[in-house]
Amino acid sequence: MWKDWLWLVRKNLALILRDKKSGFLHVGLPLAGVLLSMLIYGSANSGTLHIGIVNEDKGSKVAEDAVQYLAQLQKVKVTVLENDEMRTEIENGSIDSGIVFPSGFSEKLKNGEAPSADIVSIQGAQVTAYVSSMLNNYLGNVAAIAKTSEGDSARFDRLYEEFTGSGYAVNVESLQDISGKKDITYQAIGFLLLFMLTSSFSLTEIMQKERQDRTFLRMMSSPVSSRTYVFSNVAVNAIVLIVQIVLTLVFMKFVLGIDSGVPFGQLAGILFLFSLAAIGLSLLIVSLSTSNAASGALSTLIITPTCLLSGCFFPMDIMPDAVRRISTFLPQHWLLDSLGKLQSGDAGSGLMLNLAILVAFAAAFALIAAYRLSRKDNTRQYV
Amino acid sequence: MNVLNIRNVTKTFGDFAAVDNMSLSVREGEIFGFLGANGAGKSTTIHMVSSLLKATKGEIEVLGKNIAKHPRFAKSNIGIVPQDLAIYEQLTAYENVQFFAGLYGLRGSLLKERTEEALEFVGLGDKAKSFPKSFSGGMKRRLNIACAIAHRPKLIIMDEPTVGIDPHSRNYILQSVLKLNEMGCTIIYTSHYMEEVEEICTRIAIVDHGKIIAEGTKEQLKSIVTDTKEIWIGVRSESNISVEKLKNVPGVVSVRIEDGQIKLQSKAEVNNLNEVIQQLIQDNADIRSVEEQAPNLESVFLTLTGRNLRD
Repeated sequence: MWKDWLWLVRKNLALILRDKKSGFLHVGLPLAGVLLSMLIYGSANSGTLHIGIVNEDKGSKVAEDAVQYLAQLQKVKVTVLENDEMRTEIENGSIDSGIVFPSGFSEKLKNGEAPSADIVSIQGAQVTAYVSSMLNNYLGNVAAIAKTSEGDSARFDRLYEEFTGSGYAVNVESLQDISGKKDITYQAIGFLLLFMLTSSFSLTEIMQKERQDRTFLRMMSSPVSSRTYVFSNVAVNAIVLIVQIVLTLVFMKFVLGIDSGVPFGQLAGILFLFSLAAIGLSLLIVSLSTSNAASGALSTLIITPTCLLSGCFFPMDIMPDAVRRISTFLPQHWLLDSLGKLQSGDAGSGLMLNLAILVAFAAAFALIAAYRLSRKDNTRQYV
Repeated sequence: MNVLNIRNVTKTFGDFAAVDNMSLSVREGEIFGFLGANGAGKSTTIHMVSSLLKATKGEIEVLGKNIAKHPRFAKSNIGIVPQDLAIYEQLTAYENVQFFAGLYGLRGSLLKERTEEALEFVGLGDKAKSFPKSFSGGMKRRLNIACAIAHRPKLIIMDEPTVGIDPHSRNYILQSVLKLNEMGCTIIYTSHYMEEVEEICTRIAIVDHGKIIAEGTKEQLKSIVTDTKEIWIGVRSESNISVEKLKNVPGVVSVRIEDGQIKLQSKAEVNNLNEVIQQLIQDNADIRSVEEQAPNLESVFLTLTGRNLRD
């Protein structure tokens, strides 16, 4: 029994390794998926803010100092521009936002009027908020000096000199922003799920092809049982999917340096549970089909739409409620949800329930497929 | 000793009985011809013998053991040469034979030896490392046979092994069948080609509508045909000949035209040759020969089933 099983596994692996397309399908596409997710999310959080500054209040020390203040901020790069240049640079994306210190800016500030630097951006508050906050803080201090000076220019200059000359110790700690890495991981795993399902179906389809080219009939006329035959296919399927998972995760972590936020073993473990569901689903598709064409059409109808609905291509946050509810009937949803839980450090009962649901999906698919396949063997489909 | 015993076997698919209470025995050392038109029940019987299908009723024994109780034993002693090619195009000839022989538990040096032996036997020893896609139809058929014999089965079932191949390969395969038989294999051979069956089979069964309607040696079967005769008329031009008009000649049972020959079956007691020739002259057929044939398996089949084997 085990010898027969190993013999069939060996043959299937030989067939897969000989097929040049299979290398592309089982390994190339998942790696391409990781690269694609890098492209989509990789540039979203580069970290450095490019600001263009137009200083129309030329010769004013306060305006000059404000520019210097912004230039020494961490993660901010300042370029001094003319007004026309700034609009062009913003439009072509060379800078994220622009600040204009209008003529008479420092005089107004000295007279106790509210600071009025204009901040221009087409990317919205998420880009301008940080600079605006820091600049307002700085200008607020200058305005306070002006108020204390009560219109006495000499007093203002003295106090201002003390303010700019005095140093105070600030310890700066940079916290790592891992949301971008999480997004890349989520997207990469989403693509991987699609390719795992596609690979699994392609490997299970070997059984369908063997029925059609009659090699199945020849095998079944030998002492090998149909159960051994199906288990050998499942084993080969699992081997290929494990290789696919490991290669993809290694590529992500060690080649591209993407830290998923989840230990390698845990991530590989939950993906292996998903691979069981994928194998069960592909067995079910093949068991429900009478030909290669039928199983191909059925897989297309099932795999891509379910991946779409369960958030493999887009984050679930942007999906409508109805789609979110539908996604709970799909194994991909529970894998992605488990990934989210692991990334946020929630390894409690919620995660266990998710994993149990994944196993239940695999068992349900496999049981229905086993029933269907046993019925198939009692008919003349291969005669 | 009987290698195969089929006792009162029935196989139904819904209401349709593909095999209907069939009984049959194949003795050790025979080349047993299994004749029947498409849908007669041959393939269903073969698939039941090879445990691919379960009989609805009845009992099948291979080498004295009931296949329902000892399927592994039965399968180990049977080699199937399926009608359709059942080989992997992605594996070499050697790997194909090696893989299928390995399913019967052969491993290591024995497997290597048997694989090489099977390939040599079918004349593909020098093509061991070639892939089947580079083979002719006849070579693929021979590889199909090699995959079935490498484990040295006692009973080989060949289902139409010569379909669609050139005369040279066909002859090679027929000689291989005789050689396998000399080596001690019992063979069940099905074919649409009567002349093949007549040439190599020692005993023949004719199956129709799931039942054995005749069984025996060639001579025994031919002796059944006493009430019909077969006349072959050679013509230079067959384009104007009306088969329908010939069939209307009194006593004519069937007419077929093959390779410039009009093959006509007629009731033995009716003397209608003059009318047949008169009809052919009317159709402007340029007659070049007329001969009455001794009964053959074709005429036996026609007499028993009312149709030609290739209909």
